[in-house]
Amino acid sequence: MATIRVSREGGQMIDEIEWKAEELDIVERPNGPAMAAIIAAGIGALILGILTTLNEASTDVHDFLEIDKDVGPLSGKTLFAVIGYLVAWAVLAPLLWRRSISWNTGLIITGLLLVGGFVGTFPKFFELFASE
Amino acid sequence: MDLTSRETWTALHGVVFGALFLLAFAGGLAGLWSLRPEWVTVNGLQERMTRLKIGVTTMAVVAWVTVVTGTWIVYPWYRDPPPIPAGGKFTDLPPEVQEKFPRALLLSDPNTSDWHKFGMEWKEHVAWIAPIVATAVAFVVVYYGNQLIVDKRLRYTAMALFVVAFAAAGIAGLLGAFITKAAPLQ
Repeated sequence: MATIRVSREGGQMIDEIEWKAEELDIVERPNGPAMAAIIAAGIGALILGILTTLNEASTDVHDFLEIDKDVGPLSGKTLFAVIGYLVAWAVLAPLLWRRSISWNTGLIITGLLLVGGFVGTFPKFFELFASE
Repeated sequence: MDLTSRETWTALHGVVFGALFLLAFAGGLAGLWSLRPEWVTVNGLQERMTRLKIGVTTMAVVAWVTVVTGTWIVYPWYRDPPPIPAGGKFTDLPPEVQEKFPRALLLSDPNTSDWHKFGMEWKEHVAWIAPIVATAVAFVVVYYGNQLIVDKRLRYTAMALFVVAFAAAGIAGLLGAFITKAAPLQ
């Protein structure tokens, strides 16, 4: 509850706003669905990182990922990363839907997956695996 | 004042969608940060929640549109192979022809080759992390709604991932701007 009074210098009251106490009902849901979504995002990022590095290391993988000639191997890397992300989400969501798991565990897993994704897509890293 | 089809798509990809993404990010982060029962009324929280859901969903959709147009429309033009005659070199081509092949143009000069080897190689990959993570954040906000008001861990997790998505898009956007300056698509 809050009351706001607005007055001019000199003391003349010009406005008054009063808020009354209000209630809001919130039904708490388990964190499983959130964990499924964010871990799946981490898996998608990691798949992208792994494919980016493998593409550099192997010409066979490079050719396999070249789904579209104009886009090159980026077409396969991104397509398979997105498919992997959606599949991971589709698998994890029903498993975790009505459950709560440890926040720390979920966040550490997601953090590691995302770091793996960022590192795998960093040129100075994946160039270390470049084939001759 | 005419824009070619390539320039129009490049502008849509980098400037229009990029600006929308930035706006949605700024609004979404501010919305998540201020989603506290001690700061606003129930009516205010409800109004913010609606705006937040629209903002984060827009951010995720715009992120997908940006990477899809960038990868499948703009990028093929960037990496078009130049018509080099047998036994010739890229630098033998007239300058006005060279300018139409940004990737080859960047690689032809040791002073600019890192814009492709490092800049474009990082940009084209890291950008895709943004829509993937932004979609997870959008799901959390839409699915949990008002629970974000009282569940600090949920809200902070959403905010942290929001920043991760923005960082990925920010790296890609910044590198894209520099690459476009060094070798614009024409």
